[in-house]
Amino acid sequence: MTFIPNHVEKILENALVCAFTCIDENGRPVTHPLLPLYERGSGNIYFTSSVLFSKKLEYIKRNQRVSALFSNRRFIKSDEFHVVLVQGDARVLEEDIHHGWEKLLPLWRKKEPYIDAYVKQRIALPLFWERSIIELTPRKLYVWNDGDMSREPQIYVR
Amino acid sequence: MLEDVREYGEAIVTYVDDEGYPFSYPSGYRIEDETVILEKRDWLKKRSSDKVSLLFNHITPLPTGGYMDRRYIVLWGGVEEKQDEIRFTPSRRYSWDENRVHFFQYCEISVPRGRRYMQLLERELGRKLKPALSLFSLFFRVTRLPFLIATVVPTLLGAAVAAYHGIFDPLLFILTLVGLAAIHLGLNMANDYYDTKLGADNVNTTPTPFSGGSRALQYGLITPSAAVAMFSSFYALGLGIGLYLAITRGLVPILSLMLIGFVLSFFYTAPPFKLAYRGVGEIAVGVGFGPVIVLGSYYVQTQSFHIAPLLASLPVGILIALILYANEIPDKKADALAGKRTLVVRLDDQTVMKLYKALIALVYVIIVLTFAAGYAPFTTLLALLTIPTARKAIKQISETYGNPYYMIPGLATNIKLATTTGLLLAVGYIIPAAYNILLT
Repeated sequence: MTFIPNHVEKILENALVCAFTCIDENGRPVTHPLLPLYERGSGNIYFTSSVLFSKKLEYIKRNQRVSALFSNRRFIKSDEFHVVLVQGDARVLEEDIHHGWEKLLPLWRKKEPYIDAYVKQRIALPLFWERSIIELTPRKLYVWNDGDMSREPQIYVR
Repeated sequence: MLEDVREYGEAIVTYVDDEGYPFSYPSGYRIEDETVILEKRDWLKKRSSDKVSLLFNHITPLPTGGYMDRRYIVLWGGVEEKQDEIRFTPSRRYSWDENRVHFFQYCEISVPRGRRYMQLLERELGRKLKPALSLFSLFFRVTRLPFLIATVVPTLLGAAVAAYHGIFDPLLFILTLVGLAAIHLGLNMANDYYDTKLGADNVNTTPTPFSGGSRALQYGLITPSAAVAMFSSFYALGLGIGLYLAITRGLVPILSLMLIGFVLSFFYTAPPFKLAYRGVGEIAVGVGFGPVIVLGSYYVQTQSFHIAPLLASLPVGILIALILYANEIPDKKADALAGKRTLVVRLDDQTVMKLYKALIALVYVIIVLTFAAGYAPFTTLLALLTIPTARKAIKQISETYGNPYYMIPGLATNIKLATTTGLLLAVGYIIPAAYNILLT
């Protein structure tokens, strides 16, 4: 059972992009816009990262503390809107960078329906499709209901 | 540093909180000189140096799902509270805009990082890692298999002219085709190997499906020694078949053509001649894929030479040279950096296009004159049907000149022009040949 309330799950599930932050070796935050893949049930958020853009993977291996912010109304395809910050611990899954990430394709397809066409063209960008999975296990949520940033956020802790 | 920051709807402010986790929130902002003024929030305390980052992110969501028009900027800097404002002064920035750096180029620039990471992972996992491709996909990519059409067309044309002259042996045709195809695949791989060794493919960050080589060595799909083994095997197979044909069909003529073909093919990029690096690569390709292959294919069938196949080979040779010539346009910068002085590097952009148009016009003039002089049947004028394709190729290449990714459709049309013109020419010889066979 997850501690994430249903109205927050809707945001995590329907966001096209979020601001994913890890921490570099000098303690600086490093933020990337990434496609979040939320898995109901486990309550984990998954991301995939090509080896081409692997700096964040090295940072996560050194420091597992990360966050993901869901904030821009235009990027969230849902009738409800709340700004959500997820803080948690991440691990990098890369036993099989060739095909391991393919288990996330059903979630990926919902957000980028054309993804299968790109996967079929793997021959065109072979290194792009060598991908690690980032598994974010949430431990604390900050929720600004209705996206109202002038109010204090509601906090949920695992 | 902040010039293009104004175009975004919100800033994502991020710092590391007291529990050691990144804390982010969206904020409105405005720019004043070299400072970003953020909305005041109680939770953002004074943080100096470069421990605060701002992300400005843009995508255009598509109604069908997904998004496009990606760009983002990340700034690092310190913040200071002044009255009712928070002032952020940036010290570093990082950005990507897919309209400025195409996604494919972004990937290409990142290839060294990707390979380094895979090497790190190899050590962690204790096993070898290389990009996963099926054996066929690997062969397809490494040998640049689709380009084989440039060998198929002139080989067919030579045999078609022979058939028009009343002689055609299908087994000899297949042997010729396999031998020449092996040489061509050897050429493709030797070209990649030497372009990598000499640096031209390594500095090219804008390869397209038609230019910049197979990238097999850059991506680590095969090792350089495997490339050498493969192109040596292809050359050995091609030379073996060639020797068999020379012994059985005409030693001196076929060996002479083979020698010319081998020199043009291998020394196209290989030292000491490096023909492509000296601005004669286009002529070498035109001669090799035109007169050498067409005359060779014709000779294997008829055991004689004739002016008709030589004339038939000229349009095909020119058009195949023009495939290379147009494909060199996106590689111009990388080739110049690597000292590969192709014609496109040597000429200015306007002259490149003038020469391209003039040579296409020459192709059709030769086709008409060959028929008018009585060396080709009326049906070879079928090749004139490709004039609209030629106009389209010229238009597409002119309009997108110099932009590697926008040029892709034009380069594809250019290849289509060469193959369909060559095939229609061959058909032009085959029709009367087939008619004669049916009559007898």
